[in-house]
Amino acid sequence: MNAAEARGPQEVVLPKIKTDSGNQRSPQYRFRSSSKQFVCVELLQDGNHKTFSELFSLLCLDKDQRNSLHPDTSTLRAPLLEEQLEKMETIKLHLSRAEQAERTGSWTAVCEQRLLLGLHFSAPEDVWLALYFFHSCADRKHGGGSRAATEARACLADIYLRRGDLEQARQQGELCLRQAEDGGWLDSSGVSLKLRACLVLGKTYGWLADAQLAASDCDKALKLLHKGHSMSKECDNKLIEAEVVFRFGLTHQSSGDQETAKQFFNTCIEIYNSLQNRDEIVKVLKAMAKSFEKEGNIEETVQCLEKSADICRSSGLPSKLADICLCLGNIYYKTSQYVKAYKCFLQGYEVACEAGDVALLQKAQVMVGCSCALPLIRTYSSDMESASSATVKRLVAWKESRGHQDLITDPAE
Amino acid sequence: MEAAFKVLPLAFPKGKEQFCEICQREANLQCTKCRVTFYCDSEHQQADWVGIHERICQMLVPIRTPSLKQSRRKEKQLMKVKAELIEICRNTAQSKLSQGKHFEALPAAQFCLRCCIDVHGPNTIQLVPAYLLLAETNMGLGNLALVADLLSQAEWAILKSPECDRSLRQRLHRSLGRLHTATGNLEAALFHFANDIYYASEEFGVDSTVVCYGYFLMADAFIKQGKMAIVHSLYTEVAFTWHRHLTKLLETHLQSIRNPAMLDSSFDYSQPSEVDEMFRVILEFEQKSSRRGSSLIAHVAHCLSMLWFVRGDPLKVFGFGTTALKASQLTPEHDLAEPIQGLLQLVQDPQAHPRSGPS
Repeated sequence: MNAAEARGPQEVVLPKIKTDSGNQRSPQYRFRSSSKQFVCVELLQDGNHKTFSELFSLLCLDKDQRNSLHPDTSTLRAPLLEEQLEKMETIKLHLSRAEQAERTGSWTAVCEQRLLLGLHFSAPEDVWLALYFFHSCADRKHGGGSRAATEARACLADIYLRRGDLEQARQQGELCLRQAEDGGWLDSSGVSLKLRACLVLGKTYGWLADAQLAASDCDKALKLLHKGHSMSKECDNKLIEAEVVFRFGLTHQSSGDQETAKQFFNTCIEIYNSLQNRDEIVKVLKAMAKSFEKEGNIEETVQCLEKSADICRSSGLPSKLADICLCLGNIYYKTSQYVKAYKCFLQGYEVACEAGDVALLQKAQVMVGCSCALPLIRTYSSDMESASSATVKRLVAWKESRGHQDLITDPAE
Repeated sequence: MEAAFKVLPLAFPKGKEQFCEICQREANLQCTKCRVTFYCDSEHQQADWVGIHERICQMLVPIRTPSLKQSRRKEKQLMKVKAELIEICRNTAQSKLSQGKHFEALPAAQFCLRCCIDVHGPNTIQLVPAYLLLAETNMGLGNLALVADLLSQAEWAILKSPECDRSLRQRLHRSLGRLHTATGNLEAALFHFANDIYYASEEFGVDSTVVCYGYFLMADAFIKQGKMAIVHSLYTEVAFTWHRHLTKLLETHLQSIRNPAMLDSSFDYSQPSEVDEMFRVILEFEQKSSRRGSSLIAHVAHCLSMLWFVRGDPLKVFGFGTTALKASQLTPEHDLAEPIQGLLQLVQDPQAHPRSGPS
């Protein structure tokens, strides 16, 4: 290129081919071509053709993804991969190393390089790259059982769990656990890979059990929870264990076995106590109260709720307190203790105002109204049911005498 | 056989000398059919006749006969004839090149360039295909100095027009790569092949046969550098990609035999000799090399076998098929054995065999 340019068009001197050798990687070339072409050509010059075709396909994929998006949203997003030289250079560096290792048959080095790339692309907009490289590391025919591939699986399980793709998370987590158990490896930051797998699996099983519970399939939920429990024991993580135990309680509760449910809730409270996690204790107490309520044991239900309300007050959890107050009010309301219910609802309303929780506040307002209105109507409820003329007269008399006064004197104000 | 008159200087206007069609030296002979083409000796006349003149002899008459009246209509007509001439010359040269007849392609390629310059003017982008064609012809004849000259003309034309399309750039880089490989400037060759592959990937897709041939040419430069691991890797890529293409081609081919209405002509037969040569080189390289990659050998032999099946040569199908089968049995996973055996059975079954392949 240089020779022709220097000579001009009309001269018919033979170009001196030998003189421009080695000039091909000059900055001149770099400016004349796009950065995509620059990176690709350098790769090919070094004979790393697999890296070239991989990078090229990734760039095409990126473009296609962008084009399939709505044109308005695409302008808001990050620039195309082919416009980001730094990222392309990183991919080029590690993939060429991987390709060279592949040529000599050292498969573990291949996986190591791909893992590094996956870990490098940790930013949220690069998740697709991370997924691609982790998969390309973990799913290799050669070296798929190596330490790097196992770590890639752990990372994949994490990403899928974060995205809510529970089946994929479970699959990767289980594979990771199996490989990590054989290898006994640590990950790049020195954490045991087995531990990581157990952790992610414990969470995943819990969420999967939630889904089964929502579909009211208690048997499947229990099976998942048993797995989750053994995982939490395996990684010795109290928090996850407590979550699993709590879910056990919920499952038994919905299957109607309140006795077992309460046992689980008690265990759960113990664990949370040891962790000093008051937030969660309130949640468990509320669930426990529900079990008592289902048994028809109102006294214990109220006690439970009072206890959790006390905890809320002492540890300053206003929005939780409002919620508990409403629950307590509901219990009184259902058992026709309207004055107590009214007090509870009112308290709930005040606390919700303090916490600024609008949804709860509106709920409380309605309930306060209801608890005020019902006792008023109750005096005449027998009159409404019987259809004698005397009762109708009494009702009419009440309507006449009541005036508007009663409606306006809202006890909440 | 063509006939010739002796050139009589007195038969032409004063001061108008005639030059040889082939070498541009002073002419002594004249074609008796068109009377507008001249040669220095009968050897050049013979070469031109075989190369291109036989096809375009009469077309030259209106172009080279000077007319007194220069009407616009006539000019238009002449341009049309010239465009037609360019097309004929290009096709003739290309087909002769693909048959490996470089010497016979030379007159056509030369005339193509001359005609292009006449139509489009010197140093225009439209000349590039003609330059490349002539360069390729000369490459086959070993005139490297001339090739270098032609290619720098082409390069200059492309540099001057940045909007020029990618396939043209790709072809230029491929030719430059071949030139540098031949002159032994391997770094430059690799640079040009890299650009060639890049443009080909942009234009035809990363797993196209055009890209494959780029890889094959690039491997040649790596052989000269002694980097055998890279060569093996490149050849594997080439063989596997072609294998995928040919498997698909074979499928559609078999379908079209069963159902002739579906006969498709999507496969590019234009460079069969190039493809054969490529596979032969890869096969030889692999059989000689110490690592003896039987998987690669099996794939290449299977490719050749499929190629000859489509072209309709049962003997070659059988020969390459057996080689492929033997090699595939040495690979750890015998995934190729089944399709190869299927192919060998097809050859023995006269019903499935094509009546006549393309020549």
